[in-house]
Amino acid sequence: MPKVKAKRQSVSLDMTAMCDVAFLLLTFFMLTAKFRPEEAVTIVPPSSISEKPLNAKDGILTISVSNEGGVYLASDDQLGREFMLERMASRYGVAITAEMKKNYMASEIVGYPAGAMRQVLNMKPADAKKLIKGIPIDSASNELSYWVGYAKLSNPNLKIAIKGDQNSNYDVFSDIIGTLQAQNINIFQLITSPEGKPK
Amino acid sequence: MAEIDSSGGGKKGGGKKRSKKMSTKIDMTPMVDLGFLLITFFMLTTTLAKPVTMQLNMPDKTDTKETSPVKLSETLTVIPDEFKVYYYQGIPTDAGTKIDVTDYSDTGIRKVIADLKKKIGNNFTLVIKPTKKAKYRNMVDMLDECAITGNKRYALLEIDPFSEALIKRSGK
Repeated sequence: MPKVKAKRQSVSLDMTAMCDVAFLLLTFFMLTAKFRPEEAVTIVPPSSISEKPLNAKDGILTISVSNEGGVYLASDDQLGREFMLERMASRYGVAITAEMKKNYMASEIVGYPAGAMRQVLNMKPADAKKLIKGIPIDSASNELSYWVGYAKLSNPNLKIAIKGDQNSNYDVFSDIIGTLQAQNINIFQLITSPEGKPK
Repeated sequence: MAEIDSSGGGKKGGGKKRSKKMSTKIDMTPMVDLGFLLITFFMLTTTLAKPVTMQLNMPDKTDTKETSPVKLSETLTVIPDEFKVYYYQGIPTDAGTKIDVTDYSDTGIRKVIADLKKKIGNNFTLVIKPTKKAKYRNMVDMLDECAITGNKRYALLEIDPFSEALIKRSGK
């Protein structure tokens, strides 16, 4: 009898240590994980063999181009975003309330002409999705140029990333490059999805 | 895991003392399972969602001094269209300029670039002029071909009417 019992005890191992390690790792990964922000538009970037990760040290201004050719802007520099809103609002004579500012900071993306700014920002980001159709970039009212200009003004080290949908038209991209080159921005990071290197 | 159950089941057979001792030990298996499941999830999501970038440097428009001369005989102009790539060597207005068409496969434009680069050497320059119908993907593909063939000299330009006329004339 005692022999059998001793054997039983020996196989039940103490899982506390394992559990500790598991949860330590879990905490680490949860804290370091960066979730993809919810996108108002789905963008499938083309693939390339490049292996360079996006360097987000100094802040990144992402210009997205959707399949239909809409141009959207996102920035991970919160101070810069606030500055951009204030400057754009005063340029186009839009009075910004605290509520509008809150909605602006809560949404990840800017994708509306300045004329619709008041309407969009008075809605919750989730409700305003239908109104997000893109920033005008045509030569008559190139608002992208102002947005980028103000972003660069608040943070000169800001990197410009372009995330185009693989099936978006090249001329939209060419217009964006032209707009930025006019402001003497000549280095772009093209966001792509990784792909295996061919032999 | 079955062992843990059996030790828990030992309550029945054992005396009161034993059952009291056992009750303080909780079965941590589901907790550990859940922990590792979440770890796996976070590990996979963090590594897979990482986007990569390719840097594109455009020339400074305000700087007119710094130009590097390029021999026409050492350049290849590629004109990516949505499903095919046109390419020619030399000047589009020349009557002798021959335009050819190929595709985006491994044996298509990549072979053309690699062969020409081998023939010409380090001074080989690629001029990319996407058509109006080209997609963003086509341009990235061309930049990618440059990276694959190890070609560091390339220029991204707007398409000119001469090249368009050349394509039209060739009827390809």
